[in-house]
Amino acid sequence: MSRRCENAMHSQTSIFHHDGSRPSGARCGVSAILLAVRNLLRVLALAAGASAFLASQAVGQEAPPVEPAPQQAPAPAPSPSGPVIVLDPAHGGTDTGARGEGGMVEKDIVLQIARTVRAELDRQGFRVLMTRNDDSNLSYDDRAAVANAYRDAIFISLHVSSTGTVGTVRAYYDQFDTPIPPGVVTASAQPKSPQTAGLTAWEDAQRPYAGASHRLADLVQIEVAERFSGSPDTSAGAAVRALRSVAAPAIAIELSSVAAPNLNSLTGSAAPLAGAIERAIAASRASSSGAR
Amino acid sequence: MARKWKIAIGILAVAVLIGLISLRSLHRRMVRLAETQAAEERARHEVLAAPISTPTDVTAKAKIFWAAGPDQIAPVEIELPLSADPVQRSRQLLHALIVSPPTPGQRTIPADTELLAFYILPDGTAVADFSDALSTETPSGILSEEMAVNSIAGTLASNVPGLRRLKILIHGQEVETLAGNVDLTGFFDLNSAPQQASAAAR
Repeated sequence: MSRRCENAMHSQTSIFHHDGSRPSGARCGVSAILLAVRNLLRVLALAAGASAFLASQAVGQEAPPVEPAPQQAPAPAPSPSGPVIVLDPAHGGTDTGARGEGGMVEKDIVLQIARTVRAELDRQGFRVLMTRNDDSNLSYDDRAAVANAYRDAIFISLHVSSTGTVGTVRAYYDQFDTPIPPGVVTASAQPKSPQTAGLTAWEDAQRPYAGASHRLADLVQIEVAERFSGSPDTSAGAAVRALRSVAAPAIAIELSSVAAPNLNSLTGSAAPLAGAIERAIAASRASSSGAR
Repeated sequence: MARKWKIAIGILAVAVLIGLISLRSLHRRMVRLAETQAAEERARHEVLAAPISTPTDVTAKAKIFWAAGPDQIAPVEIELPLSADPVQRSRQLLHALIVSPPTPGQRTIPADTELLAFYILPDGTAVADFSDALSTETPSGILSEEMAVNSIAGTLASNVPGLRRLKILIHGQEVETLAGNVDLTGFFDLNSAPQQASAAAR
């Protein structure tokens, strides 16, 4: 193979010819054919890669599509009463949350579950709101603000985990850290005072409700333990950011997990979950009214 | 049709046929290449993150909190050279936590995580500064993030006397959450860390 022809072939790896030359002459004929075959194989390989990518995207699209909001079912109860229940489907928008290998995405699953739970609770006569009913990504404070706008609210953040025994459910209450003595840490790490001139700091809004949230989480956990085998018997405290700014009893419920074999096994948990929430709230109201 | 066109079409048909035949092997090679790269990355990380040794090192038993199933962590006793200096001792423990899980399934901290800095304030507050990988590679979820934080807190609380609370930074900065759920703006109580770790196990 001539040097010039060789150069031309090597230059095919780049968009541009190194020397601006073109292969020429009869000796390049066979090489040109080989080159064409090689390039065609490259194109085919690229096409294979692209089709694999598109296939994986298609799998991802099998994750629950964001359906239009279902019509509100007519509530048989005479009129909604009691606390406003704020359902918070976690994540949303660019924040997908947990991602399963099969393409399941937490933000979409929790939205579907929240819609079903809302419909169930509506039927039971509860007043129910959702922090989001589409694929929007609200800030933690915007989500908290939905509950904070009501005098009597209960905030429930819905999650699906990346890990954990599939089919189990956990309820969490916010666990605050202990205060830091002043003057020993940097400004950014200073303790956040729950009370500033008689006002509650937004980031500590949950602190006065810690006890009520803990009780509610325990009641929910008792109910879910009956419905979801393998779930723990007691709730757990965790520094859940979504709960910190809520000025109302607030809990997070996390289903395990995006590793579930199919979407239905997760979305199918919505109805029993709604039952557990309903009974836990009723028990919580009964115990608080009995305490008065 | 001209002869040269027939030849060209023939060549193209053969090329397409060869391409189709070689698709499967190409795919297999791509998968193998990705696995090799991941293994190389792990090996590189282990070489770069060399164990920390100090003049006061004494081989002692340490309790390291690793995953003990999909939803719990538990202490595993291992022998480690541990420094008398609490900062160096903490670095050695966290290094072991990241690099030496007995099995891949017991890992609670992503393999690419590096401990960039560690210091202890006079009030017993431990500040651990991790690389971005802790935040970007920890699976999102309250449970998985709690397991990661509790494994760090439990390991420090069980082996370094005098620590009271833990602050986790990512690349020198305070971040709002670890991977979208667990709040990192506060401090984690090390006095109750082993109990917290058990709580995650419930």
